[in-house]
Amino acid sequence: MKLILLIATAGALLAGCAGFGQVEPWEKGNLAKPSMRFDADPLDARFTQHVYTSKEAASGGAAVGGGGCGCN
Amino acid sequence: MAATERIGGVFAATLLLPGLAAVSTVHAEEPPDQAEIALKYGYYRDWQPGLDRVKVQSPQLYLLTPFAGQWSLEAATVSDSVSGATPRMHTTRSGATPAMSDHRSATDVKVTRYFHRGSITLGGGYSGENDYVSHSQNVEGRWSTEDNNRTWIAGYGHSGDVIDNTGSGGSVENQHRQTRELMVGVTQAATANDVVQAFFTRSMGRGYFSDPYKDFDQRPDSRRASITLLRWNHHLEKYDATVRSSWRYYQDSFGIRSHTLAAEWVQPVGVWTITPGLRYYMQSAASFYYDPVTDAQGVPSSLLTRRYASNLEGYYSPDQRLSAFGAVTASIKVAYAFSEASSVDLKVEQYRQSSGLRFGGGSPYLDPFRASFVQFGVSHKF
Repeated sequence: MKLILLIATAGALLAGCAGFGQVEPWEKGNLAKPSMRFDADPLDARFTQHVYTSKEAASGGAAVGGGGCGCN
Repeated sequence: MAATERIGGVFAATLLLPGLAAVSTVHAEEPPDQAEIALKYGYYRDWQPGLDRVKVQSPQLYLLTPFAGQWSLEAATVSDSVSGATPRMHTTRSGATPAMSDHRSATDVKVTRYFHRGSITLGGGYSGENDYVSHSQNVEGRWSTEDNNRTWIAGYGHSGDVIDNTGSGGSVENQHRQTRELMVGVTQAATANDVVQAFFTRSMGRGYFSDPYKDFDQRPDSRRASITLLRWNHHLEKYDATVRSSWRYYQDSFGIRSHTLAAEWVQPVGVWTITPGLRYYMQSAASFYYDPVTDAQGVPSSLLTRRYASNLEGYYSPDQRLSAFGAVTASIKVAYAFSEASSVDLKVEQYRQSSGLRFGGGSPYLDPFRASFVQFGVSHKF
């Protein structure tokens, strides 16, 4: 709960900053670059996430619906 | 045979996450302009001092295509060939499973319907091998603001797993695990060069969580986890480069707390793109993890540990993955674009896990663990 409050507070502060989140359509050239995507290479992400899930206790965070893990 | 299933189960688990990949996290709220097909070959190897553990060869196929105007179909499939051995307790080499080989495959599909300012995605996945079968389903909705600077995301997923190793002489028969996950998130264009993303996920699992291929391993029949993920992509105009960074905090009812920090630098150089990256991970131990027992000289003793473990009651586990440790990954990816539509890429990663890499110290008497993974891929849009 403390973490959620911290994130919410940080978000509110950022939102209050001048210019934050006010990006005009003609300013979005860089945002449209493939490297700015969070899922630029789905197979890469899939492979590495699977490796980490089998070798570490923590997993998930970016998507839902993953099957259970027999390794942990 | 048990070894076969053990290793299979381990890596199966990794591939038992079809749904995880099935719901990607950022898309424009409109169908893709082009179809895309990608092939990737992954190779994974891990080892510890004196013991080569697991090797995996993993070819993958990915397809994304728009259809019927406002729809898209995305599918991925993977086929794993696994071989090697793994310790039954902690990192004890003498107790490692015999050499084995195994095979498993997984497929997931998702269909998305796009609307004026949003989209709905339905997905499903299947993963199977001889001792572990998983089915998963998920639904995800996205809503964008009028200026397209912010997208709200909500998702729900369910998975049902069955563990049964009696077919090859094991003792675990028809054990089930159900997991439900609820996720909310937001993606925000912060400036003309910054996009940030925040997710909060709550996971609730019930059923069989023990590892049937570990000795003296008895875990709770429920696991609840909370995961916070923050990601930030920043474009550096001066270098025409992008810095991609993330932080994840994970905590669960096993008593595990973990932090994951990752960053990579995406640098285009003509038709080449070079991406070096670093990842740091650390976790605390599960509340029921027990350390190896040492003899009078302070040396870990398998015999004494077994004697100690045989008298434990309640929940207990000697699984290295539930101990306290830290881990570092260094990676580099090189991609070459033949054209705007076609590219080829190679990625190499080196992973090291040990108690000493955890801030504040980790669990004692465990050997460090190393892994190397390589991916070679080609993709084409049409």
